Amino acid sequence: MPAMAAPMIAVFALQFEGCAYQPPAGDQTCLGYLDGCRTQSRWQTTAAAPTELVIEEPLLQDPAETPLASRPFRPRGKVSKEQLPSPRTAEADKSAKLAALRSRLSLHQRFPLQTLARTLVHPSADPNPAFNNASLSMLGSNLLGYYTTEYLLSHYPRLPMPVMFAAVEAYIGPRALATVASEWGIEAAAEPGGEVDPGLLQFRRLRSGEDPPSPAKRKGPYKWNITTTHKILQSDEFGSATRPPAAQELARLPIPLEEAAQSFVRALIGGLHLHLGAPLVKRFFRDHFLSRHLDLSTLFDFRTPTRDLSRLCAREGFEAPVARLISETGRLSRHPVFVVGVYSGKDKLGEGAGSSLDESRFRAAAAALKGWYLYRPLEVTVPSSTEGGLNATRWKPNMIDCGEVIV
Amino acid sequence: MPVSAIRTVAKAQNGVGAFILQCKRLDFHYCDWAGSSRGMNAFIKSSLPKFAKRNPQIEITVSPRPNKHPVIIGHYVNGKQKEICVKNMTNELVLGKVELLRDTNGEKDKRVNKPVTSINESVRGIWDPFHGAKIKI
Repeated sequence: MPAMAAPMIAVFALQFEGCAYQPPAGDQTCLGYLDGCRTQSRWQTTAAAPTELVIEEPLLQDPAETPLASRPFRPRGKVSKEQLPSPRTAEADKSAKLAALRSRLSLHQRFPLQTLARTLVHPSADPNPAFNNASLSMLGSNLLGYYTTEYLLSHYPRLPMPVMFAAVEAYIGPRALATVASEWGIEAAAEPGGEVDPGLLQFRRLRSGEDPPSPAKRKGPYKWNITTTHKILQSDEFGSATRPPAAQELARLPIPLEEAAQSFVRALIGGLHLHLGAPLVKRFFRDHFLSRHLDLSTLFDFRTPTRDLSRLCAREGFEAPVARLISETGRLSRHPVFVVGVYSGKDKLGEGAGSSLDESRFRAAAAALKGWYLYRPLEVTVPSSTEGGLNATRWKPNMIDCGEVIV
Repeated sequence: MPVSAIRTVAKAQNGVGAFILQCKRLDFHYCDWAGSSRGMNAFIKSSLPKFAKRNPQIEITVSPRPNKHPVIIGHYVNGKQKEICVKNMTNELVLGKVELLRDTNGEKDKRVNKPVTSINESVRGIWDPFHGAKIKI
Protein backbone atom coordinates (compact mmCIF):
# COMPACT_ATOMS: atom_id res chain seq x y z
CA MET A 1 0.00 0.00 0.00
CA PRO A 2 1.67 3.24 -1.08
CA ALA A 3 1.55 6.12 1.35
CA MET A 4 -1.26 8.48 0.44
CA ALA A 5 -1.43 12.14 1.26
CA ALA A 6 -4.65 13.41 2.79
CA PRO A 7 -6.71 15.17 0.14
CA MET A 8 -7.11 18.91 0.35
CA ILE A 9 -10.74 19.79 0.68
CA ALA A 10 -10.48 23.31 1.98
CA VAL A 11 -11.03 26.36 -0.16
CA PHE A 12 -9.15 26.42 -3.42
CA ALA A 13 -6.73 29.29 -3.82
CA LEU A 14 -8.04 30.02 -7.28
CA GLN A 15 -11.35 30.97 -5.79
CA PHE A 16 -9.82 34.07 -4.25
CA GLU A 17 -8.07 35.29 -7.37
CA GLY A 18 -10.76 36.86 -9.43
CA CYS A 19 -14.44 37.11 -10.02
CA ALA A 20 -14.56 34.15 -12.39
CA TYR A 21 -17.64 32.11 -11.58
CA GLN A 22 -16.84 28.86 -9.87
CA PRO A 23 -19.84 26.56 -10.01
CA PRO A 24 -20.63 24.43 -6.97
CA ALA A 25 -19.15 20.97 -7.15
CA GLY A 26 -22.47 19.31 -7.93
CA ASP A 27 -23.26 21.64 -10.79
CA GLN A 28 -23.10 19.53 -13.93
CA THR A 29 -25.03 21.90 -16.08
CA CYS A 30 -22.28 24.49 -16.26
CA LEU A 31 -19.99 23.86 -19.18
CA GLY A 32 -17.14 25.75 -17.51
CA TYR A 33 -16.91 22.83 -15.17
CA LEU A 34 -15.66 20.52 -17.88
CA ASP A 35 -12.05 21.05 -18.80
CA GLY A 36 -10.71 20.25 -22.22
CA CYS A 37 -9.88 16.90 -23.72
CA ARG A 38 -6.93 15.24 -22.13
CA THR A 39 -5.14 12.13 -23.20
CA GLN A 40 -5.06 9.79 -20.27
CA SER A 41 -5.57 6.12 -20.01
CA ARG A 42 -8.01 5.08 -17.34
CA TRP A 43 -6.54 3.00 -14.60
CA GLN A 44 -8.48 1.50 -11.84
CA THR A 45 -8.24 -1.42 -9.51
CA THR A 46 -9.34 -2.00 -6.00
CA ALA A 47 -5.82 -1.11 -4.83
CA ALA A 48 -4.74 2.47 -4.51
CA ALA A 49 -2.99 3.57 -7.69
CA PRO A 50 -0.44 6.35 -8.00
CA THR A 51 -1.76 8.84 -10.49
CA GLU A 52 1.39 9.09 -12.61
CA LEU A 53 1.32 5.37 -13.33
CA VAL A 54 -0.25 4.74 -16.70
CA ILE A 55 -1.15 1.18 -17.55
CA GLU A 56 -3.00 -0.07 -20.55
CA GLU A 57 -6.36 -1.53 -19.72
CA PRO A 58 -6.28 -5.29 -19.72
CA LEU A 59 -8.26 -6.78 -22.55
CA LEU A 60 -10.51 -9.37 -21.00
CA GLN A 61 -11.65 -11.11 -24.15
CA ASP A 62 -10.71 -11.10 -27.77
CA PRO A 63 -13.03 -8.52 -29.36
CA ALA A 64 -13.38 -10.66 -32.46
CA GLU A 65 -14.95 -13.48 -30.48
CA THR A 66 -17.52 -11.48 -28.57
CA PRO A 67 -20.55 -10.15 -30.37
CA LEU A 68 -20.80 -6.37 -30.57
CA ALA A 69 -23.79 -6.14 -28.29
CA SER A 70 -22.16 -7.88 -25.37
CA ARG A 71 -18.75 -6.23 -25.71
CA PRO A 72 -18.27 -3.55 -23.06
CA PHE A 73 -17.97 -0.03 -24.37
CA ARG A 74 -14.33 0.93 -23.95
CA PRO A 75 -13.07 3.94 -25.89
CA ARG A 76 -9.39 3.88 -26.78
CA GLY A 77 -6.85 6.47 -27.71
CA LYS A 78 -7.73 10.12 -27.29
CA VAL A 79 -11.04 10.32 -25.50
CA SER A 80 -12.70 13.24 -23.88
CA LYS A 81 -14.32 12.99 -20.48
CA GLU A 82 -17.75 13.21 -22.03
CA GLN A 83 -17.16 10.04 -24.02
CA LEU A 84 -16.29 7.98 -20.95
CA PRO A 85 -19.09 6.13 -19.19
CA SER A 86 -17.79 6.96 -15.70
CA PRO A 87 -15.28 9.47 -14.28
CA ARG A 88 -11.56 8.86 -14.51
CA THR A 89 -9.80 7.39 -11.52
CA ALA A 90 -7.51 10.39 -11.24
CA GLU A 91 -10.51 12.65 -10.68
CA ALA A 92 -11.24 10.98 -7.33
CA ASP A 93 -8.47 12.82 -5.48
CA LYS A 94 -9.85 16.16 -6.63
CA SER A 95 -13.43 15.52 -5.59
CA ALA A 96 -14.47 17.38 -2.45
CA LYS A 97 -17.64 15.30 -2.32
CA LEU A 98 -15.72 12.03 -2.05
CA ALA A 99 -13.39 13.33 0.65
CA ALA A 100 -16.35 14.69 2.59
CA LEU A 101 -18.17 11.36 2.25
CA ARG A 102 -15.14 9.48 3.56
CA SER A 103 -14.95 11.77 6.57
CA ARG A 104 -18.68 11.66 7.16
CA LEU A 105 -18.59 7.88 7.39
CA SER A 106 -15.46 8.08 9.60
CA LEU A 107 -13.61 5.83 7.21
CA HIS A 108 -9.89 5.37 7.70
CA GLN A 109 -7.55 7.58 5.67
CA ARG A 110 -6.04 4.38 4.31
CA PHE A 111 -9.24 3.73 2.40
CA PRO A 112 -8.45 5.29 -0.98
CA LEU A 113 -10.83 7.72 -2.61
CA GLN A 114 -10.39 5.87 -5.90
CA THR A 115 -12.10 2.79 -4.47
CA LEU A 116 -14.78 4.93 -2.87
CA ALA A 117 -15.39 6.48 -6.28
CA ARG A 118 -15.62 3.03 -7.84
CA THR A 119 -18.23 1.88 -5.32
CA LEU A 120 -20.45 4.69 -6.57
CA VAL A 121 -20.49 3.46 -10.18
CA HIS A 122 -23.34 1.05 -10.88
CA PRO A 123 -23.10 -1.39 -13.82
CA SER A 124 -26.00 0.40 -15.49
CA ALA A 125 -23.69 3.43 -15.87
CA ASP A 126 -20.48 1.64 -16.78
CA PRO A 127 -20.81 -1.97 -17.93
CA ASN A 128 -17.05 -2.53 -17.79
CA PRO A 129 -16.43 -4.78 -14.76
CA ALA A 130 -13.03 -3.16 -14.19
CA PHE A 131 -14.68 0.18 -13.43
CA ASN A 132 -18.08 -0.58 -11.90
CA ASN A 133 -18.97 -1.80 -8.44
CA ALA A 134 -20.45 -5.19 -9.39
CA SER A 135 -17.61 -7.29 -7.99
CA LEU A 136 -17.24 -5.27 -4.79
CA SER A 137 -20.99 -5.34 -4.36
CA MET A 138 -21.09 -9.12 -4.57
CA LEU A 139 -18.37 -9.43 -1.93
CA GLY A 140 -20.05 -6.87 0.31
CA SER A 141 -23.40 -8.59 0.00
CA ASN A 142 -21.92 -11.86 1.23
CA LEU A 143 -20.12 -10.15 4.11
CA LEU A 144 -23.26 -8.29 5.19
CA GLY A 145 -25.25 -11.53 5.08
CA TYR A 146 -22.58 -13.37 7.06
CA TYR A 147 -22.26 -10.81 9.85
CA THR A 148 -26.00 -10.27 10.21
CA THR A 149 -27.02 -13.92 10.23
CA GLU A 150 -24.25 -14.95 12.62
CA TYR A 151 -25.28 -12.16 15.00
CA LEU A 152 -28.94 -13.12 14.91
CA LEU A 153 -28.40 -16.89 14.99
CA SER A 154 -26.08 -16.80 17.97
CA HIS A 155 -27.91 -14.11 19.94
CA TYR A 156 -31.42 -15.44 19.32
CA PRO A 157 -30.96 -19.22 18.91
CA ARG A 158 -34.69 -19.98 19.13
CA LEU A 159 -35.90 -17.50 16.52
CA PRO A 160 -38.28 -19.18 14.02
CA MET A 161 -36.94 -19.19 10.46
CA PRO A 162 -39.55 -16.83 8.93
CA VAL A 163 -38.81 -14.30 11.66
CA MET A 164 -35.08 -14.81 11.20
CA PHE A 165 -35.42 -14.02 7.47
CA ALA A 166 -37.51 -10.94 8.26
CA ALA A 167 -34.96 -9.75 10.83
CA VAL A 168 -32.08 -10.15 8.38
CA GLU A 169 -34.09 -8.24 5.81
CA ALA A 170 -34.84 -5.49 8.31
CA TYR A 171 -31.11 -4.97 8.87
CA ILE A 172 -29.62 -5.49 5.41
CA GLY A 173 -32.54 -6.00 3.05
CA PRO A 174 -32.84 -3.98 -0.17
CA ARG A 175 -35.06 -1.34 1.42
CA ALA A 176 -32.84 -1.11 4.49
CA LEU A 177 -29.71 -0.59 2.38
CA ALA A 178 -31.37 2.09 0.27
CA THR A 179 -32.41 3.85 3.49
CA VAL A 180 -28.88 3.58 4.85
CA ALA A 181 -27.45 5.12 1.69
CA SER A 182 -29.85 8.05 1.85
CA GLU A 183 -29.01 8.55 5.53
CA TRP A 184 -25.36 8.74 4.59
CA GLY A 185 -26.17 11.67 2.35
CA ILE A 186 -25.50 10.02 -1.00
CA GLU A 187 -26.46 12.20 -3.96
CA ALA A 188 -27.14 10.77 -7.38
CA ALA A 189 -25.97 12.18 -10.68
CA ALA A 190 -28.70 13.16 -13.11
CA GLU A 191 -26.97 11.20 -15.84
CA PRO A 192 -23.78 9.14 -15.59
CA GLY A 193 -20.72 10.13 -17.55
CA GLY A 194 -17.02 10.85 -17.41
CA GLU A 195 -17.49 14.53 -16.69
CA VAL A 196 -19.63 13.99 -13.59
CA ASP A 197 -18.21 14.54 -10.12
CA PRO A 198 -17.01 11.11 -8.91
CA GLY A 199 -18.64 11.75 -5.53
CA LEU A 200 -22.10 11.30 -7.04
CA LEU A 201 -23.88 7.97 -7.38
CA GLN A 202 -23.81 7.03 -11.05
CA PHE A 203 -26.47 4.91 -12.67
CA ARG A 204 -28.85 5.09 -15.58
CA ARG A 205 -32.05 6.52 -14.21
CA LEU A 206 -35.46 5.02 -14.68
CA ARG A 207 -37.88 7.75 -15.71
CA SER A 208 -40.63 8.32 -13.19
CA GLY A 209 -43.76 6.37 -13.96
CA GLU A 210 -41.95 3.85 -16.17
CA ASP A 211 -41.69 0.18 -15.39
CA PRO A 212 -38.20 -1.27 -15.09
CA PRO A 213 -37.24 -3.28 -18.21
CA SER A 214 -37.89 -7.00 -17.91
CA PRO A 215 -34.23 -8.06 -17.41
CA ALA A 216 -34.05 -5.70 -14.41
CA LYS A 217 -37.04 -7.27 -12.71
CA ARG A 218 -36.81 -10.05 -10.18
CA LYS A 219 -36.80 -13.48 -11.74
CA GLY A 220 -39.64 -15.93 -11.17
CA PRO A 221 -39.62 -18.45 -8.35
CA TYR A 222 -36.72 -20.86 -8.09
CA LYS A 223 -39.21 -23.61 -7.62
CA TRP A 224 -42.97 -23.73 -7.24
CA ASN A 225 -43.00 -25.75 -4.05
CA ILE A 226 -40.95 -23.58 -1.71
CA THR A 227 -40.31 -25.01 1.72
CA THR A 228 -38.40 -23.52 4.64
CA THR A 229 -35.56 -25.94 3.96
CA HIS A 230 -35.42 -24.73 0.38
CA LYS A 231 -35.33 -21.13 1.58
CA ILE A 232 -32.41 -21.89 3.91
CA LEU A 233 -30.40 -23.95 1.45
CA GLN A 234 -31.01 -22.40 -1.93
CA SER A 235 -32.51 -18.97 -1.58
CA ASP A 236 -30.75 -15.76 -0.54
CA GLU A 237 -30.29 -14.64 3.07
CA PHE A 238 -33.82 -13.17 3.17
CA GLY A 239 -35.50 -16.41 2.14
CA SER A 240 -36.99 -14.79 -0.95
CA ALA A 241 -38.89 -16.86 -3.43
CA THR A 242 -37.63 -14.83 -6.39
CA ARG A 243 -34.12 -14.02 -7.56
CA PRO A 244 -32.80 -10.49 -8.16
CA PRO A 245 -31.14 -9.92 -11.56
CA ALA A 246 -27.37 -10.37 -11.73
CA ALA A 247 -25.28 -7.22 -12.02
CA GLN A 248 -24.21 -8.00 -15.59
CA GLU A 249 -27.82 -8.18 -16.72
CA LEU A 250 -28.35 -4.58 -15.62
CA ALA A 251 -25.66 -3.16 -17.91
CA ARG A 252 -26.92 0.00 -19.64
CA LEU A 253 -30.48 -0.56 -18.45
CA PRO A 254 -32.45 2.12 -16.61
CA ILE A 255 -32.89 1.20 -12.96
CA PRO A 256 -34.50 2.84 -9.93
CA LEU A 257 -32.40 4.86 -7.50
CA GLU A 258 -32.88 2.32 -4.70
CA GLU A 259 -31.19 -0.40 -6.74
CA ALA A 260 -28.08 1.71 -7.29
CA ALA A 261 -28.02 2.89 -3.68
CA GLN A 262 -28.09 -0.70 -2.43
CA SER A 263 -25.25 -1.70 -4.69
CA PHE A 264 -23.22 1.24 -3.37
CA VAL A 265 -23.64 0.22 0.27
CA ARG A 266 -22.75 -3.39 -0.50
CA ALA A 267 -19.75 -2.35 -2.59
CA LEU A 268 -18.53 -0.06 0.18
CA ILE A 269 -18.50 -3.01 2.60
CA GLY A 270 -16.63 -5.08 0.01
CA GLY A 271 -14.11 -2.32 -0.62
CA LEU A 272 -13.56 -1.78 3.10
CA HIS A 273 -12.92 -5.49 3.53
CA LEU A 274 -10.30 -5.53 0.80
CA HIS A 275 -8.49 -2.40 1.96
CA LEU A 276 -8.84 -2.35 5.73
CA GLY A 277 -9.50 -5.98 6.60
CA ALA A 278 -12.19 -7.83 8.50
CA PRO A 279 -11.85 -6.24 12.00
CA LEU A 280 -12.53 -2.74 10.72
CA VAL A 281 -15.42 -3.94 8.56
CA LYS A 282 -16.92 -5.64 11.60
CA ARG A 283 -16.64 -2.41 13.57
CA PHE A 284 -18.18 -0.48 10.69
CA PHE A 285 -20.98 -3.03 10.48
CA ARG A 286 -21.61 -2.80 14.23
CA ASP A 287 -21.67 1.00 14.17
CA HIS A 288 -23.81 1.49 11.08
CA PHE A 289 -26.05 -1.57 10.90
CA LEU A 290 -26.37 -3.39 14.21
CA SER A 291 -26.82 -0.07 16.00
CA ARG A 292 -30.11 0.41 14.19
CA HIS A 293 -33.22 -0.15 16.24
CA LEU A 294 -35.23 -3.28 15.55
CA ASP A 295 -37.75 -4.66 18.00
CA LEU A 296 -37.78 -8.36 17.14
CA SER A 297 -40.96 -8.98 19.13
CA THR A 298 -42.94 -6.90 16.62
CA LEU A 299 -41.97 -9.19 13.74
CA PHE A 300 -44.03 -12.18 14.87
CA ASP A 301 -47.36 -12.87 13.24
CA PHE A 302 -49.04 -15.86 14.90
CA ARG A 303 -52.01 -17.61 13.33
CA THR A 304 -52.94 -20.00 16.13
CA PRO A 305 -50.82 -19.11 19.16
CA THR A 306 -52.77 -21.29 21.57
CA ARG A 307 -52.24 -24.42 19.48
CA ASP A 308 -48.54 -23.57 18.97
CA LEU A 309 -48.09 -23.11 22.69
CA SER A 310 -49.68 -26.40 23.59
CA ARG A 311 -47.54 -28.21 21.00
CA LEU A 312 -44.46 -26.45 22.37
CA CYS A 313 -45.29 -27.47 25.93
CA ALA A 314 -45.84 -31.06 24.81
CA ARG A 315 -42.49 -31.05 22.97
CA GLU A 316 -40.55 -29.61 25.87
CA GLY A 317 -42.23 -31.83 28.46
CA PHE A 318 -44.01 -29.04 30.30
CA GLU A 319 -47.48 -29.46 31.65
CA ALA A 320 -50.22 -28.53 29.18
CA PRO A 321 -50.89 -24.78 29.24
CA VAL A 322 -54.02 -23.56 30.95
CA ALA A 323 -55.48 -20.08 30.57
CA ARG A 324 -56.78 -18.48 33.78
CA LEU A 325 -58.45 -15.16 34.31
CA ILE A 326 -56.28 -12.90 36.45
CA SER A 327 -58.54 -9.89 36.61
CA GLU A 328 -61.36 -8.25 34.74
CA THR A 329 -63.44 -5.14 34.66
CA GLY A 330 -66.70 -4.09 33.01
CA ARG A 331 -67.75 -7.50 31.72
CA LEU A 332 -71.21 -6.21 30.87
CA SER A 333 -70.09 -2.77 29.75
CA ARG A 334 -69.22 -1.45 26.31
CA HIS A 335 -65.48 -1.81 26.83
CA PRO A 336 -64.61 -4.69 29.09
CA VAL A 337 -61.00 -5.57 29.90
CA PHE A 338 -59.86 -9.06 30.75
CA VAL A 339 -56.36 -9.96 31.89
CA VAL A 340 -55.60 -13.60 31.21
CA GLY A 341 -52.50 -15.56 32.15
CA VAL A 342 -51.33 -18.79 30.56
CA TYR A 343 -50.04 -21.25 33.15
CA SER A 344 -48.16 -24.48 32.83
CA GLY A 345 -48.62 -26.10 36.22
CA LYS A 346 -47.65 -23.35 38.67
CA ASP A 347 -45.50 -21.37 36.23
CA LYS A 348 -47.00 -18.39 34.48
CA LEU A 349 -45.78 -18.50 30.87
CA GLY A 350 -47.42 -15.34 29.59
CA GLU A 351 -50.08 -12.77 30.17
CA GLY A 352 -52.29 -10.71 27.90
CA ALA A 353 -55.04 -8.14 28.15
CA GLY A 354 -57.92 -7.86 25.72
CA SER A 355 -61.50 -6.81 25.39
CA SER A 356 -62.81 -10.36 25.16
CA LEU A 357 -61.83 -13.55 26.91
CA ASP A 358 -60.63 -15.14 23.67
CA GLU A 359 -58.64 -12.14 22.59
CA SER A 360 -56.80 -11.93 25.90
CA ARG A 361 -56.19 -15.70 25.84
CA PHE A 362 -54.62 -15.45 22.38
CA ARG A 363 -52.53 -12.50 23.48
CA ALA A 364 -51.35 -14.38 26.52
CA ALA A 365 -50.37 -17.39 24.40
CA ALA A 366 -48.54 -15.14 21.91
CA ALA A 367 -46.68 -13.47 24.79
CA ALA A 368 -45.67 -16.88 26.11
CA LEU A 369 -44.41 -17.97 22.67
CA LYS A 370 -42.46 -14.74 22.25
CA GLY A 371 -40.92 -15.29 25.65
CA TRP A 372 -39.70 -18.68 24.45
CA TYR A 373 -38.60 -17.71 20.94
CA LEU A 374 -36.83 -14.49 21.96
CA TYR A 375 -34.60 -16.19 24.50
CA ARG A 376 -31.17 -14.61 24.51
CA PRO A 377 -28.13 -16.43 25.97
CA LEU A 378 -25.95 -14.35 28.27
CA GLU A 379 -22.58 -15.24 26.77
CA VAL A 380 -22.23 -15.54 23.03
CA THR A 381 -19.24 -16.09 20.77
CA VAL A 382 -19.97 -15.19 17.18
CA PRO A 383 -17.98 -17.31 14.69
CA SER A 384 -16.31 -14.32 13.03
CA SER A 385 -14.83 -13.18 16.37
CA THR A 386 -12.55 -16.22 16.34
CA GLU A 387 -11.05 -15.19 13.00
CA GLY A 388 -7.95 -13.04 12.79
CA GLY A 389 -4.70 -13.29 14.71
CA LEU A 390 -4.37 -11.18 17.86
CA ASN A 391 -7.90 -10.00 18.51
CA ALA A 392 -9.42 -13.44 18.10
CA THR A 393 -11.38 -14.84 21.02
CA ARG A 394 -11.53 -18.49 22.00
CA TRP A 395 -14.48 -20.34 20.58
CA LYS A 396 -17.06 -21.32 23.14
CA PRO A 397 -19.89 -23.33 21.64
CA ASN A 398 -23.15 -21.45 21.41
CA MET A 399 -26.55 -22.77 22.28
CA ILE A 400 -28.31 -24.42 19.37
CA ASP A 401 -32.04 -24.89 19.58
CA CYS A 402 -33.98 -27.63 17.86
CA GLY A 403 -36.09 -25.00 16.15
CA GLU A 404 -39.60 -23.69 16.07
CA VAL A 405 -42.54 -25.84 16.91
CA ILE A 406 -44.02 -27.74 13.98
CA VAL A 407 -47.77 -27.97 13.93
CA MET B 1 -47.61 -22.14 8.79
CA PRO B 2 -47.62 -21.69 12.57
CA VAL B 3 -45.81 -18.36 12.58
CA SER B 4 -45.17 -15.93 9.76
CA ALA B 5 -43.21 -12.70 9.92
CA ILE B 6 -43.85 -9.04 9.26
CA ARG B 7 -41.27 -7.37 7.01
CA THR B 8 -39.98 -4.03 8.24
CA VAL B 9 -36.83 -1.92 8.14
CA ALA B 10 -34.68 -1.27 11.21
CA LYS B 11 -34.80 2.35 12.33
CA ALA B 12 -31.70 4.50 12.37
CA GLN B 13 -30.49 5.91 15.67
CA ASN B 14 -27.92 8.48 14.67
CA GLY B 15 -25.22 8.70 17.31
CA VAL B 16 -25.92 5.34 18.98
CA GLY B 17 -23.34 3.51 16.87
CA ALA B 18 -21.97 5.88 14.30
CA PHE B 19 -22.66 9.56 14.11
CA ILE B 20 -23.36 11.12 10.74
CA LEU B 21 -23.14 14.89 10.66
CA GLN B 22 -26.39 16.00 9.07
CA CYS B 23 -24.90 18.99 7.27
CA LYS B 24 -23.30 17.70 4.10
CA ARG B 25 -22.51 20.85 2.16
CA LEU B 26 -22.06 24.56 2.83
CA ASP B 27 -22.16 27.05 -0.03
CA PHE B 28 -20.62 30.47 0.54
CA HIS B 29 -21.65 33.24 -1.82
CA TYR B 30 -19.92 36.61 -1.61
CA CYS B 31 -19.51 39.83 -3.59
CA ASP B 32 -16.15 41.47 -4.15
CA TRP B 33 -17.50 44.93 -4.59
CA ALA B 34 -20.35 45.49 -2.15
CA GLY B 35 -19.71 46.65 1.41
CA SER B 36 -22.20 44.22 2.92
CA SER B 37 -19.82 41.39 2.02
CA ARG B 38 -16.83 42.84 3.88
CA GLY B 39 -17.20 40.56 6.90
CA MET B 40 -17.95 37.55 4.73
CA ASN B 41 -14.85 38.17 2.61
CA ALA B 42 -12.74 38.47 5.74
CA PHE B 43 -14.26 35.22 7.00
CA ILE B 44 -13.52 33.42 3.73
CA LYS B 45 -9.92 34.60 3.80
CA SER B 46 -9.09 34.06 7.45
CA SER B 47 -11.47 31.60 9.14
CA LEU B 48 -12.91 29.38 6.42
CA PRO B 49 -9.75 27.30 5.74
CA LYS B 50 -9.50 26.53 9.46
CA PHE B 51 -13.20 25.73 9.66
CA ALA B 52 -12.94 23.44 6.63
CA LYS B 53 -9.98 21.62 8.16
CA ARG B 54 -11.81 21.11 11.45
CA ASN B 55 -14.95 19.84 9.68
CA PRO B 56 -13.83 17.53 6.89
CA GLN B 57 -17.31 15.93 6.71
CA ILE B 58 -18.67 19.04 5.09
CA GLU B 59 -18.14 19.80 1.45
CA ILE B 60 -17.44 23.51 1.10
CA THR B 61 -17.95 25.53 -2.05
CA VAL B 62 -17.18 29.21 -2.44
CA SER B 63 -18.53 31.21 -5.32
CA PRO B 64 -19.00 34.90 -6.03
CA ARG B 65 -22.45 36.31 -6.50
CA PRO B 66 -21.87 39.84 -7.73
CA ASN B 67 -24.14 42.71 -6.61
CA LYS B 68 -25.97 40.58 -4.08
CA HIS B 69 -25.77 40.28 -0.32
CA PRO B 70 -23.54 37.48 0.96
CA VAL B 71 -25.34 34.27 1.81
CA ILE B 72 -24.47 30.90 3.31
CA ILE B 73 -26.50 27.89 2.23
CA GLY B 74 -26.38 24.61 4.13
CA HIS B 75 -27.46 21.36 2.45
CA TYR B 76 -28.56 18.52 4.68
CA VAL B 77 -28.76 14.75 4.58
CA ASN B 78 -32.56 14.85 4.69
CA GLY B 79 -32.59 16.77 1.40
CA LYS B 80 -33.53 20.12 2.89
CA GLN B 81 -31.47 23.28 2.75
CA LYS B 82 -31.15 26.31 5.00
CA GLU B 83 -30.01 29.74 3.93
CA ILE B 84 -28.70 32.55 6.10
CA CYS B 85 -28.01 36.02 4.74
CA VAL B 86 -24.90 37.40 6.42
CA LYS B 87 -24.97 40.98 5.13
CA ASN B 88 -22.99 43.56 7.16
CA MET B 89 -21.85 40.91 9.63
CA THR B 90 -18.35 40.75 11.03
CA ASN B 91 -16.03 37.80 10.70
CA GLU B 92 -17.01 36.40 14.13
CA LEU B 93 -20.72 36.78 13.55
CA VAL B 94 -20.40 34.94 10.24
CA LEU B 95 -18.54 32.15 11.99
CA GLY B 96 -21.40 31.90 14.48
CA LYS B 97 -23.91 31.54 11.65
CA VAL B 98 -21.73 28.92 9.93
CA GLU B 99 -21.57 26.89 13.13
CA LEU B 100 -25.32 27.21 13.52
CA LEU B 101 -25.79 25.82 10.01
CA ARG B 102 -23.29 23.04 10.71
CA ASP B 103 -25.00 21.94 13.91
CA THR B 104 -28.62 21.83 12.73
CA ASN B 105 -30.13 18.75 11.15
CA GLY B 106 -31.96 20.57 8.40
CA GLU B 107 -35.43 20.06 9.79
CA LYS B 108 -37.74 22.90 10.62
CA ASP B 109 -37.55 24.11 14.21
CA LYS B 110 -40.25 22.46 16.26
CA ARG B 111 -41.45 22.77 19.80
CA VAL B 112 -40.36 19.99 22.14
CA ASN B 113 -42.86 19.51 24.94
CA LYS B 114 -41.82 16.19 26.40
CA PRO B 115 -38.64 15.85 28.46
CA VAL B 116 -37.81 12.46 26.92
CA THR B 117 -38.50 11.19 23.43
CA SER B 118 -37.59 7.55 22.90
CA ILE B 119 -38.36 4.67 20.60
CA ASN B 120 -37.53 2.22 23.39
CA GLU B 121 -40.24 0.74 25.55
CA SER B 122 -40.54 2.07 29.07
CA VAL B 123 -38.66 -0.14 31.55
CA ARG B 124 -41.33 0.19 34.23
CA GLY B 125 -44.24 -0.36 31.90
CA ILE B 126 -47.49 1.52 31.93
CA TRP B 127 -49.55 1.53 35.12
CA ASP B 128 -52.77 -0.39 34.96
CA PRO B 129 -55.38 -1.06 37.62
CA PHE B 130 -55.33 -4.84 37.21
CA HIS B 131 -51.96 -5.55 38.74
CA GLY B 132 -50.31 -4.80 42.08
CA ALA B 133 -52.02 -4.17 45.40
CA LYS B 134 -55.77 -4.00 45.19
CA ILE B 135 -57.49 -0.99 46.72
CA LYS B 136 -60.13 -2.09 49.22
CA ILE B 137 -63.07 0.25 49.58
